[in-house]
Amino acid sequence: MPKVEFKLPETFESFGEARKSGFLKMKALKEKGAGVVGVFCVYTPLEVFLAAGLVPVSLCSTSDETIPEAEKTLPRNLCPLIKASYGFAVADKCPYMYFSDLVVGETTCDGKKKMYELLGQIKDVHVLNLPQTQSGQRSLPFLISELKALKDKVETAFGVTIAEADLTRAIKEKNAEKRLIKEFYELSQMDPPPMTGLQQLQVLFGSQFKFDLPEKLADLRQTIDDLKEARAKGERPVAKGAKRLVMTGCPTGGATEKVIKAIEESGAVIVAYENCTGARQYDREVREDGDPWEALAEYYLGVGCSVMTPNPNRLELLGRLCREFKADGVVEMVLQACHTYAIETQTIRSFLSDKGLPFLTLETDYSAGDVGQLKTRAAAFIETLG
Amino acid sequence: MGHQNTLCIGLDCGSSFCKGALGLNGEIVGLASRPTGWDVAGSAALVKAELLKGYDPKESLVRVVATGYGRELIKADKIVTEITCHAKGAELLAPQTRLVLDIGGQDYKAIATLNGQVISFQMNDKCAAGSGRFLEVILKRLEVDLSQLDEFLAAGQAITLNSACVVFAETEIIGLLASGVSRADILGGVVASLAQKIASQAARLDPTGPAALTGGLAQNLGVAKALGQALGLTVRPLLKGPYAGALGAALIALDID
Ligand code: SF4
Ligand code: SF4
Repeated sequence: MPKVEFKLPETFESFGEARKSGFLKMKALKEKGAGVVGVFCVYTPLEVFLAAGLVPVSLCSTSDETIPEAEKTLPRNLCPLIKASYGFAVADKCPYMYFSDLVVGETTCDGKKKMYELLGQIKDVHVLNLPQTQSGQRSLPFLISELKALKDKVETAFGVTIAEADLTRAIKEKNAEKRLIKEFYELSQMDPPPMTGLQQLQVLFGSQFKFDLPEKLADLRQTIDDLKEARAKGERPVAKGAKRLVMTGCPTGGATEKVIKAIEESGAVIVAYENCTGARQYDREVREDGDPWEALAEYYLGVGCSVMTPNPNRLELLGRLCREFKADGVVEMVLQACHTYAIETQTIRSFLSDKGLPFLTLETDYSAGDVGQLKTRAAAFIETLG
Repeated sequence: MGHQNTLCIGLDCGSSFCKGALGLNGEIVGLASRPTGWDVAGSAALVKAELLKGYDPKESLVRVVATGYGRELIKADKIVTEITCHAKGAELLAPQTRLVLDIGGQDYKAIATLNGQVISFQMNDKCAAGSGRFLEVILKRLEVDLSQLDEFLAAGQAITLNSACVVFAETEIIGLLASGVSRADILGGVVASLAQKIASQAARLDPTGPAALTGGLAQNLGVAKALGQALGLTVRPLLKGPYAGALGAALIALDID
């Protein structure tokens, strides 16, 4: 990225620090008697926990710190996300894992499913069964019944009851947050975008660790206003003409920031994240009318993750983001040993090639060993964009 | 192309060698190379000095483009990846090339090109199988010099090696030597396995020929032949192939204003 003097609005920092400073906030919440639910994946219906007055937290596991610990038990050639998740639990190194009274895992990929069995020996784990397909008539009723089973589990584990009105309220709150985050990242539709992809990621990733909703919403609003103001004052953190790329694939953040850095240090800019760290989580809202359980199930069934077969919603979202953010190309990050994404790469490649959009796929893990290689691949790809 | 009297220098510092090319008035007028060693910036500076011997840099503009593994450590006007540079360099050395196979010390790359422009590329992962390093280790173990490789390849049959991993292949070779297999046959097997590994990577590009060989093994007829067989394409060995990256970088330097 060509060096441009740019002062980050201060609210950005609060997101960058959110994961760390959240530890203390979480501790305070626990001391006040709050119940905490640890979650892994975008399929987990956070609304259910919010409706019960519980605090959900992402057990994001994006560092390689505890992988050696995990590899004592798990196979080495397994997705780093799974190894890290498990590693943090056994090594007792993640405060969020430590504070979680209940961990909810969903049957996305095979590696995770089997890992939960082992995790269940250390923590109270509830497994949310997902259908494997969005098509046909049977998936929706199945997911509704699974959501109700989750409700029962939460009610007994925490001694609460979840009324429909509570759920509807939680849905509305979550929707408000989604709208605001979407408004935030859509600022990068501007040319040049008012922030780098790394800065955008900082907010997307950090917002998972702000537990006080009104405060989170206020911070997001402030960040949006600050960005607009900085722009109006002529701040240009991204050089004009920088190639605009959309990220897709496995979740990014933490250790995999190295991929974003390799790309942006080579002169391009990430304008949007199609993956779970970004739009896949915030693009759509849950229907606010009718039966809230059905509305939730409809929404979550629509998540465009490669664990679904087929997975048309990923293509729809990716295509739309490329249009709306005027992408010059797409970069996919696939975590090592993630079969569903690695195979779906082929579908993405032909989908994008039909649209004439250049595509690069990068396979990586949480180690720093491939930084040089990533840089060469990313830079060479960006050079081909002209 | 380029400017009158601009000295255009391409420096390509890989894991083993630092190569340089000098262009003047649209012509390549000099090549130089030396081992990279531990000091990339220092070796690059020495290669540059060697290229400029006999020229007065004060009287002309000097433009430097750096590429290769060590590119970010070199003082240059522009930094370009070796993938783009090899594509350009190969087109200069062998016009109408559609696939460039660059075997480097640490890695290998297959680059689909058109008129010297990169269309798409594939690179090996962290593993050294298929890289120049693999062959280097084996040559050393067999006490064969790279310059003798073609002779050995012509004399032997390619046996089948079971492992493509450097460490395991070395062990396997110790066993083969113990059971009396000739060095020529072993080297045939090693080169065939290297070619297989590179070809399977290149196959993802749906390559059309002709292909050209660049990097440290570019002059080697036997390697080109093995790659040709593995790919089902004509693979041209290139006498100046080791300089393809530096030449491509010098060509890019010609276009800097
Ligand atoms: S990529 Fe799929 S499995 Fe992973 S967090 Fe997202 S929805 Fe869950
Ligand atoms: S990245 Fe892939 S393998 Fe890893 S947890 Fe997600 S779906 Fe499973």
